Amino acid sequence: MFSSNRRSDRQDYEPLSTPATNGATVIARGVKVEGDFVSQGDVIIEGEVNGHVTTNGLLTIGTDAKLKAEISVNDAVIAGLVEGMVTVKKRLELKATAKILGDVTCETAAIEAGAILHGKCSIGQGKLDKESSKDQIAEKPFGEKLPAEKPGV
Amino acid sequence: MLGALRFGFHMRRDTYAFIYDDFLNDRKYERGLAALDARLASLDLVGRAARLTLFRSAKEIIESMVSQGSDTVVLVGNDQTLDKVMWFLPDLDVTLGFLPIDEPSRVAQILGIPKGEVACDVLAARLIETIDVGRLDERYFLTEVALEHTLAAVDVEGRYRISPSVGGSIFIRNLGSLAENGTASADAKDGYLEVVIRPEEEKNSRLFRRAAALETRVMLKTGEIVASQPIEARVDNHVMNSMRFKIGICPRKLKLITGRRRRLAPEGEGLPNAEKTANLPFTTVQMQKASTGGGIGIRTSLRG
Repeated sequence: MFSSNRRSDRQDYEPLSTPATNGATVIARGVKVEGDFVSQGDVIIEGEVNGHVTTNGLLTIGTDAKLKAEISVNDAVIAGLVEGMVTVKKRLELKATAKILGDVTCETAAIEAGAILHGKCSIGQGKLDKESSKDQIAEKPFGEKLPAEKPGV
Repeated sequence: MLGALRFGFHMRRDTYAFIYDDFLNDRKYERGLAALDARLASLDLVGRAARLTLFRSAKEIIESMVSQGSDTVVLVGNDQTLDKVMWFLPDLDVTLGFLPIDEPSRVAQILGIPKGEVACDVLAARLIETIDVGRLDERYFLTEVALEHTLAAVDVEGRYRISPSVGGSIFIRNLGSLAENGTASADAKDGYLEVVIRPEEEKNSRLFRRAAALETRVMLKTGEIVASQPIEARVDNHVMNSMRFKIGICPRKLKLITGRRRRLAPEGEGLPNAEKTANLPFTTVQMQKASTGGGIGIRTSLRG
């Protein structure tokens, strides 16, 4: 009974070939990172991180991942535990297993039932700012000059 | 016999320096070497020749041949022959050729060089690639640094430190991998070293295995390997011991004659996304698909 299970398990457990990670930086289960983890491109985290995580790509946090970190990324899919502030430029996706203890800021969000979020959540703040600035421009009477931009700003 | 063939061309300006490994003294290689010499002669690939021996420094032999005008050093032997010269060769202004005669020849496979006399055709074609070379302390390496069953950590560019939580193996790769099946898994032309960490398996994990595990993979240009007690690092096939190693990449440092079927970059590079994600573990595939999907912003009530 066990032998057949083992065989199938062994096949499942084969390390993935490089193409599988899609060229992404990977922190796998059983690996710990401490410090400012700055990366270019996509990042997959299934291990532990203490510090900061910054990338201009997609951050994918797996179900077993534990992060005590401030996160600043372009897009994020979170299925694990995050303790710290999460700032996502564009799209944040929280899976049902996600647990975030900290404030979240993002442009758009998709949250599955079961996700846990303890903290302030600000979604679409960027859009709101853009719209309000558009409204201000629209409210100006015709012919009135907009305030000149300061040089060097 | 092979020496006579080579040294017979002293009047001609030498450009090739042929370095034969000492294991080729064995009689079983006589035929193979004769065939190799005949092929080299027919392709007009001639030059000086020397044989590595236990009591002669490979560095001295090669430096003297280079000072006499050789601009292409051709190693005849196996992967271990490469290891014998790689620690100093990148500092010389030469092009490296390789004629693998015997196993192990994994590096030759990665470089697209077939074993035996047919390798002479690769040499004659002179398809030259300029590749990166790694450096561990003062020693250059071509393939990888391996630290097995270790608790060491890798300090990446002074910004963060990465380590296996309960021990494991750390590989820092420049070109391919000696530990696997010879396929290239690191890009030797990207100006980076690839750090791969495989944690030790947990107890009972053979019975209760979870879904497929990813390998940890990060890139670095400079870094340091640190440990609380002396550790053993295998650099190409040479062993070094220390508690701290400085590691870095020397971009475009070595000119190498390769075959057309060289695999200096991972085979997956350039694959369409669908193919790239085909082998991902279920959860990760799901998550990636979801993240790139239609983006339906379903809001549900938050727990907690």
